[in-house]
Amino acid sequence: MSETPLIQVRGLHKKFGKLEVLRGVSFEVKRGEVLAIIGPSGSGKSTLLRCLNFLEQYEAGEVLFDNTLVGYRKDAAGRMMPDSERNIRRVRARMGMVFQSFNLFPHKTVLENVIEGPLVVQRAPRAEAEERGRALIARVGLTDKLASYPAKLSGGQQQRAAIARALAMQPAAMLFDEPTSALDPELVGEVLEVMQALAAEGMTMVVVTHEMGFARQVADRVMMMDRGEIVELAPPAQIFGAPESPRTAEFLRRVLH
Amino acid sequence: MNYSWQWQLIWDYRQVFVRGVEVTVILTCWALLIGMALGLLLGLMRSSRLAALRMPAAIYIDVFRATPILVQLVWIYYALPILLGVQMGNIASASVGIGLHSAAYIAEIFRAGIASIDRGQSDAAKSIGMGYGQAMRRIILPQAVRRMVPPFINEFATLMKLTTLGSVLAVNELLHEAENLINSTYRPLEVYTVVAVVFGLLIYPFIWLSQRLEHRWNKHK
Repeated sequence: MSETPLIQVRGLHKKFGKLEVLRGVSFEVKRGEVLAIIGPSGSGKSTLLRCLNFLEQYEAGEVLFDNTLVGYRKDAAGRMMPDSERNIRRVRARMGMVFQSFNLFPHKTVLENVIEGPLVVQRAPRAEAEERGRALIARVGLTDKLASYPAKLSGGQQQRAAIARALAMQPAAMLFDEPTSALDPELVGEVLEVMQALAAEGMTMVVVTHEMGFARQVADRVMMMDRGEIVELAPPAQIFGAPESPRTAEFLRRVLH
Repeated sequence: MNYSWQWQLIWDYRQVFVRGVEVTVILTCWALLIGMALGLLLGLMRSSRLAALRMPAAIYIDVFRATPILVQLVWIYYALPILLGVQMGNIASASVGIGLHSAAYIAEIFRAGIASIDRGQSDAAKSIGMGYGQAMRRIILPQAVRRMVPPFINEFATLMKLTTLGSVLAVNELLHEAENLINSTYRPLEVYTVVAVVFGLLIYPFIWLSQRLEHRWNKHK
């Protein structure tokens, strides 16, 4: 059971109108693995990530999470039918997601943000949800901001709170969509530290990022995307040391100066 | 300006105004109730991804915004009974008419309020496993309501003023009572002045409240 990859993506296609954003993407993420996705903007990285928890619908191919098809079910004849809202919600709740623009709930305090999922989705007792919430908030170093509203926090603090909110659902995997791209440079480090600690604890992570340092040091494998396709998928040593694809080499030359 | 105001007369007839205010308030409450309930429903339908829900709401809103309310009221009072065979009383007709009319505007307030909330909010709500209803109730609407308060108070003031159209259906609201009083006293200046002042006193507290709320929520940000 633990041998099968947690996330399996096969032949994924996604269009926005006539624009093909994903053109047959296939890869796997093993349990406990950290996969970094890099590539030029518009290459389909974020769309791919959003297909994993079905925030974006895909038109062809399959996403399997823990051996379960995401967003669709197969009928007797093997055709893909839209899955029930309930099943989609259930699989989403098992994947935490962290967004570029944090997306904390502005009308709720840090603690309220973190316990919202456990309270409303998992229907946990308030005392239990709060205890878990406080522990997670301590883990991301925001204990003194428990009762603060998001608008009173720095970008780095907001993103750490957002990570705690995602972790509160006790997810089996975490998806990060350019988590540091909206941050002032001096605040990037504190967020990466939290992510690095999470990776060290064995969390399965898929991270769309422009932080090449993070991809190099923390990721087990790095996936280079361009124009809706995987250009190269390899351990960081190969991607950064001896890329096979000239497109990877060219991209890295540009971002690493 | 040699007009000699006779306020004593107004005071003598104060009961007429009290009666008028009562009916105006009742009319306002019913119309508001209908307008809010239907407006929320239409607003949610209008924001839906499903065309089967979106289209009927859009048609309703456009029809009611594009035709005069006076015509709508008269139509409901005189034409509807012939079509349906049910005659509503004049207060009921006026309440329903003003309610249906306001629902179109209130729906637009709800729709615009919901649309003004960043898409990232519903993404975040979905990503922790919330359904549409939960996300609406706990995440989207609480934020949208704050933005809806000023236009909503506006619409409320409009609605209360629209109740004067009830006089066309012989509803004994404030304006209708006032006109009866004018017919018997021949003092239109005093009577209309008092009607204006009474409406001002009825509506202003809500405008004040709206400003206070806005101020408080802005500080909170």
